Amino acid sequence: MPDFAAPVERLIDELKHLPGIGQKTAQRLAFYLLRIPAEDALGLAEAIRNAKEKIRACSICHNITDNDPCIYCTGANRNKRCICVVEEAHNIMAIEKTRTYSGMYHVLGGALSPLQGRGPEQLFIKSLIERLKGGAVEEIIVATNPTAEGEATAVYLSKLLKPLGVKVTRIGVGIPVGADLEYADEVTMLKAMEGRREL
Amino acid sequence: MPAQDTEAIILKTFPLGEADRLVSFLSRSSGRMRGVAAGARKLKNRYGSTLELLAHVQMEYIERETRDLVRIQQCDLLDSFHAAQSEYSLATGLALVSEIVEILLPEREPAEAMFRLVLLTAREIERRKEWRIPAGYFVFWAVKLAGWLPPLDRCGKCGAQLGSGDGYHASWSPGQLCRDCRHPGMRAISLPAREVAPLFARKGLEKLSEAEAPGGLVGELRDACLDWIEHHTERKLITRNLLETA
Ligand SMILES: [Zn+2]
Ligand SMILES: [Zn+2]
Repeated sequence: MPDFAAPVERLIDELKHLPGIGQKTAQRLAFYLLRIPAEDALGLAEAIRNAKEKIRACSICHNITDNDPCIYCTGANRNKRCICVVEEAHNIMAIEKTRTYSGMYHVLGGALSPLQGRGPEQLFIKSLIERLKGGAVEEIIVATNPTAEGEATAVYLSKLLKPLGVKVTRIGVGIPVGADLEYADEVTMLKAMEGRREL
Repeated sequence: MPAQDTEAIILKTFPLGEADRLVSFLSRSSGRMRGVAAGARKLKNRYGSTLELLAHVQMEYIERETRDLVRIQQCDLLDSFHAAQSEYSLATGLALVSEIVEILLPEREPAEAMFRLVLLTAREIERRKEWRIPAGYFVFWAVKLAGWLPPLDRCGKCGAQLGSGDGYHASWSPGQLCRDCRHPGMRAISLPAREVAPLFARKGLEKLSEAEAPGGLVGELRDACLDWIEHHTERKLITRNLLETA
């Protein structure tokens, strides 16, 4: 590997820490940043600093926000009787895009993943149970990913929450819109059959 | 390069780039390998649920001349362990198996015995809806196949017979010591737990019952075996901490 000047080396090193960025891409990005006008590159640096300083986790739902509690937790028009549980804060955007859900959210901070050392203790599950204590919440929608880990998390949560007298539902899992049944594997098809509804 | 067709067990996957997955798998014919499943994180992808923990698949892959990562073309499910994967405590058992295979096997060395052992363990976790006996059996055999199982009837230092006394083990010690030779911080394994070892060695997992191998004793033996694995691989097992609460 060629030797770069120390500041360039450091920049490449920092970029390499980003997800999906390897040595080659990091080098390409670093040289791109060195080539563009100083104000553009520093604008990026400033945006990162600004976001890191102003953004924090919502103390109620763990969404990322610049105002604590976040807009979903404080919104006057949000339905307080329903909480949609997601793995990561960015999953909220996917649900908001549908414009059909107006309840609350709860971010777990991931899914149960023993291989990554993530058990129930490592997720924001206790704070979810705390939120149910007032008795105002009637339904929990579990919107974890349709992976085995997301499914395991959903099953775990339902066993934990149902005895507390709250209705627990799972988002539909199965055949994606626009796909062909011919290409569905057996687990996907099984999930689709389990989740069928009356027309 | 022609496509290779092999039976495989998925060990672990990581997100790679924008939409791909890096897949670590155990090929029946070629041992532990790594490959790329292109587009596996897209909503519509051709892998479906075939890349989940310990899934048993028929896999088609292509070797690439320049890199040790193969390109995974296609996977078809042979055995789905969906019920075990979607139950947290059972998934913890599967994860322990995956993590141990990952650190125990060198890349690209055929390991047919290990392949059969992993498959049997996953099938039994799925069938029994219980992970303690299958995972205990797996861990014992993993240590045995690796050649790390110390004599269980005597002290590794002074050679004294343990008889009905406890043996002592730790992740910083290769074998088992007697009461007199043990160091502070070592954990005990009782005689009844040591007697589970010959039972595991001679009897098939499918035939083992909870009555013959009670959870507590299997747990003691598992703990000792995990210590020996950690000692010989010089690695801490991540899933180990989660076993107690699983
Ligand atoms: Zn909030
Ligand atoms: Zn001794």
